[in-house]
Amino acid sequence: MKVSLPWLKRFVNFKQSASELADLLTMLGFESEVVTDFSVLKNIVVGEVESAKKHPNADKLKFCIVNDGKMTHEVVCGAPNVATGQKIVFAKVGAVLPGNFKIGKAKIRGIESNGMICSERELGISEEHDGIMVLNPGLKNGTNVADILGPMYDAIDIDITPDKAFALSHRGIARELAAKLNKKLKSPLNAKRVIPDSKEKVKVVLDKKGGCPRYVAGIVNNVKVGPSPQWLTDYLKSVGQKSINNLVDISNFMLLEIGHPTHIFDLDKLSEPTIEVKWAKKGEKFAALDEESYILDSDHLVITDSVNTVALAGIIGGKDSAVSDTTTNVLIESAYFDPIVVRKGSKKLNLLSEASRRFERGADPDATLDAFYMIVRLMEEVAGGELGSIVTDQCTFDLKPRKITLSHRKLSKYTGFNIPNKKVEHILSGLQIDCQTRGESVIPMNVVEILSNSNKLESMRIRTEFRPFMRNIVDHLQVIGEITRKNASSYRRDIRFGSKETLSELAKVLKKNHSDSLPKEFIPKIAGKKTNKSVDTQKWICTIPSFRGDLVNEADLIEEILRCYGYDNIVPSYSFSSQMQYAEDEERPLSHLKKYLSSIGFQQCYNNSLEERDSIAKFGVESLSVMNPSSDRMNVLRTSLHQGLLKTLDFNYKNGTQDILIYEQGTVFEKKGDTLDDIEQKNAFSCLVHGDFAEPNVHFSPIEGNFFLLKGLAENIFNNLLKIKIKFIKESHSYCGTFYNIVDSQKNLVGSLGIINEEFLKEMDILHRTDVCIMDINTENFKECFNYNIKTEDIVLYPIVNRDLNFIMDNSIELAQVCPTIKNVNQSLLKEVVPVDVFESKELKDEKSVLFKLYFQNPKKTLEDNEVNSIIAEIIDIVLKKFNAKLRDQ
Amino acid sequence: MDKAINKVKTSFHSELESCKTSENLEQLRIKYLGRKGQLTDLFNQFGALSNKEKPKYGKTLNILKSDLTASYNNKLATFNSDQGSDDKRDFSLPGYALPKGNIHPLEHVTDEIKSIFQSIGFSVAYGPEIDDDYHNFEALNVPKHHPARDMQDTFFIDSDVVLRTHTSNVQIHLMENQDPPLRHICCGRVFRNEAVSYKSFCLFHQVEGLVINESSSFAEMKGTLEYFAKEMFGKDTKMRFRPSYFPFTEPSAEVDIWNDKLNQWMEILGCGMVNPNVLENVGYDSEKYQGFAFGMGIERIAMIKYGIRDIRLFYQNDKRFLEQF
Repeated sequence: MKVSLPWLKRFVNFKQSASELADLLTMLGFESEVVTDFSVLKNIVVGEVESAKKHPNADKLKFCIVNDGKMTHEVVCGAPNVATGQKIVFAKVGAVLPGNFKIGKAKIRGIESNGMICSERELGISEEHDGIMVLNPGLKNGTNVADILGPMYDAIDIDITPDKAFALSHRGIARELAAKLNKKLKSPLNAKRVIPDSKEKVKVVLDKKGGCPRYVAGIVNNVKVGPSPQWLTDYLKSVGQKSINNLVDISNFMLLEIGHPTHIFDLDKLSEPTIEVKWAKKGEKFAALDEESYILDSDHLVITDSVNTVALAGIIGGKDSAVSDTTTNVLIESAYFDPIVVRKGSKKLNLLSEASRRFERGADPDATLDAFYMIVRLMEEVAGGELGSIVTDQCTFDLKPRKITLSHRKLSKYTGFNIPNKKVEHILSGLQIDCQTRGESVIPMNVVEILSNSNKLESMRIRTEFRPFMRNIVDHLQVIGEITRKNASSYRRDIRFGSKETLSELAKVLKKNHSDSLPKEFIPKIAGKKTNKSVDTQKWICTIPSFRGDLVNEADLIEEILRCYGYDNIVPSYSFSSQMQYAEDEERPLSHLKKYLSSIGFQQCYNNSLEERDSIAKFGVESLSVMNPSSDRMNVLRTSLHQGLLKTLDFNYKNGTQDILIYEQGTVFEKKGDTLDDIEQKNAFSCLVHGDFAEPNVHFSPIEGNFFLLKGLAENIFNNLLKIKIKFIKESHSYCGTFYNIVDSQKNLVGSLGIINEEFLKEMDILHRTDVCIMDINTENFKECFNYNIKTEDIVLYPIVNRDLNFIMDNSIELAQVCPTIKNVNQSLLKEVVPVDVFESKELKDEKSVLFKLYFQNPKKTLEDNEVNSIIAEIIDIVLKKFNAKLRDQ
Repeated sequence: MDKAINKVKTSFHSELESCKTSENLEQLRIKYLGRKGQLTDLFNQFGALSNKEKPKYGKTLNILKSDLTASYNNKLATFNSDQGSDDKRDFSLPGYALPKGNIHPLEHVTDEIKSIFQSIGFSVAYGPEIDDDYHNFEALNVPKHHPARDMQDTFFIDSDVVLRTHTSNVQIHLMENQDPPLRHICCGRVFRNEAVSYKSFCLFHQVEGLVINESSSFAEMKGTLEYFAKEMFGKDTKMRFRPSYFPFTEPSAEVDIWNDKLNQWMEILGCGMVNPNVLENVGYDSEKYQGFAFGMGIERIAMIKYGIRDIRLFYQNDKRFLEQF
């Protein structure tokens, strides 16, 4: 909301510049930005156009001579309205306009221009940019423009949060300002009750089902539509609004002045001077002021003249009943509409207006009558009309003000800081919240008084219950930097032993410092007695004004007090009140997994959870649709991480990186039914590899990032990180030709890995040059198995004996069968069997030569050669028979 | 005496400089550091000094001795390494080309935030990304048809199920399942139906905190968040709390930190005392219990921390971007 300083000054006097005001309001809870602050604009003065000739090299430009009171400047100007004799806003070379727009010398079509003649937009006053701003001809050349335009156009923009309906006007902001600055809030426009001559009365009928708890209506006759007076135009202009005519301007002015929306009907266009507030008929058409036609629903509240719908309650007026140039008699509406009704209505039509914004946030039900009479007064003054009816005020709203009890104890407990009673009362009264003291049963002690009185000090020294109080003071003085840590600690020691000197010294320190933030009062806590009636604190019964519908409970009042007291004035506490607890994080194991993968060369990805329906469909799991997607490329939720990882591969491939080692952890979604419980939300973890794991270099040929890299990784992750034994079990998969489930010894699925089909990659349009391999890790299992309780085994000290065996066997034999067979020959002495070389060649035809390395060890003694030899003989015998293999000649 | 010392020093260093072989160096050692060398001479002269002068020159001589010995040893070491090695491999070759892996910047920042809060006793909680309207809005004091709903553009799955707009739904789940005291942070992915641009994306990540017990106050909230900001951004971080509005907290505040480079305040988080309505909604006695909550966008902090100008970089996974972390 744009707020102008001159307008605010109608209500409250203040000296602050726009920038200072913006800071002040921001710290009060109204986030503000400066729109125009003329006080910071330098080198901008009143100038006179001494001559304005056509630019020799350009038709649309003019070559002007501008007098700034001291000298003349040659200036090129593009505005069509520039003319000789005008007083204009002249920005000299070196000036800086809003938006950090620096004015320097410039050559424009061959002519040097020294400065600029400004438009309103360039000065930040309005959006007007069709021509330059022309000033009053009486102004003296060289006058600082800030002195003239500042008082008229200095403005700020406030972002008002949805709870603060009371601040959606100049009066609302001024009220806050007056409270903060300790100033009086003025009433520039009185709402004097005028007695009409006429006996006529507008009939108002409210629907029994609610929606409009209050409606004030009346007639003003003999208005003359015409231009608005200068003052009215100026105020509107100060917030960037254009004047339309006096009637429309009055309505707009009132909205920004006190924030209560009103509406003016052309009485002669109504079929009867009657207002009926009721619910629209479903499908009813309504032509609104904004030249649009809306189709209404049965929960839209409308205003009718008993025949036609003339307005959409609280949102927008009707086109057919609107005031025009020929209007002479008007009906004024000043009502209070239900916030929910207005919000639902405006949301349904996607129609927001200044009025609906205020009603949906909660207007002031008690402002209707005042707003009505203010409009009548303005009409008399500006449009020459007079009240032509008795004022109708239909009200079903309970106008009895709300009362909230606020206790000082709650305030202190909530805040963790003591704000003196007087200050609380001062703040509340500034906000026009009346507070009556109640339940005061102890006189809080005045700190300064106690400390100035040596007798009292003496008595306090003796009484142990005052020690915490004294310590508090010491803590406080230390926090605000009044005494050093060393001093504080010696004070504390003295307090413990009750030294009189300490107290008088403290008294001195206190006297020196009369800062507001000092704890002025102390409510003694009597040791040993938990609740003592005589120690109850102050309570206030607060009467909430009608414009503060947002204040409903004690916490709301506490916020008001803190907000006005200043959040920055509350001293932070570093003594955390919470209990000790073990800081759990169930995902910590996964963070180990991520660090492991990243440390061996993987990059972690964060992909979008929202994907394109058609492309997700190809992955074969039913996806969950978003009802209101922002684009067709993001209309369903991902069903697996493969989707994003493949896209990442494609994206990087296109950008010149072919070697991809990536992983991601994130939630994937599967639709298994229609309710929330049927949506499976799974924490997934996937890796993808493509290209080389290690690039070719002077030391070694490239190491491929392929299936075996992932397989090795899986072995490492499960055997080493998790200490669980795994097996790979071949499975079929919809888009992986080669696919293995990874299972633990209880056959639980702990992961899977595979190679994505070539055809699938083509279909998905993923660029690649090698196999694209993926691996999934079951995160639930990982978190469960990841434990820090590693059980160590004794190291076997007897030597390991190494033997090689080289067999030739059929190509089709899987080594995963051969190794266990060998190992089974002697489980206790044969520690490990590893195939270290597989050799195929033309000579071998359909056979391969496999070199196995065998590791023997006896945990109890050193192995003898002959023991090993007999096992070897047995192995050869079994392998030759079982796999129809041959022993390769040495 | 001074002169003699200086002379030994300068001549030793100039001769050391011109030593070309280990034989030269050995001769130098004998000349200066040997049993009958010049240094020994100086020490002999020292013995003849008066008691008054002894302390001063004692110190000077000892310094000289260690200087000469160290210089000699250094020189000796260079001779040895030059000549002792007959390894002819080219050690100027690059090292093995190992793949360079990285943790995502958002993960880095999340981890950092987590560990700061864990260090002051916060547990980490997680919750569903898709939730019902009740947990995402109503229980948090944002009724249907409340203007506060405009503060967060929401993706709907159906009229009652949403992609969570904040991690605050986790707070409700936590409180529903647990009695006070609570001291938790929740982190995760949240969604907003906003136009994708350099400064907004359809999703982002949050860390939220919740402390509920019988006494945690606004002052404690300030202390906690100041501790966080100083740990995160440095101990000289200048910050301010300014009043704001969130339906689920009362009083509410936004926290800015001062950015010296940009010469302006930058908002980093929102916070406040948990609204009594929220406590009542989950069945806590709001007269007995109180506490505070806070929340921050991880992207925002990462952008400030790493000087990233386009939020979309986080989700594009361009290797050239990821490699920088």
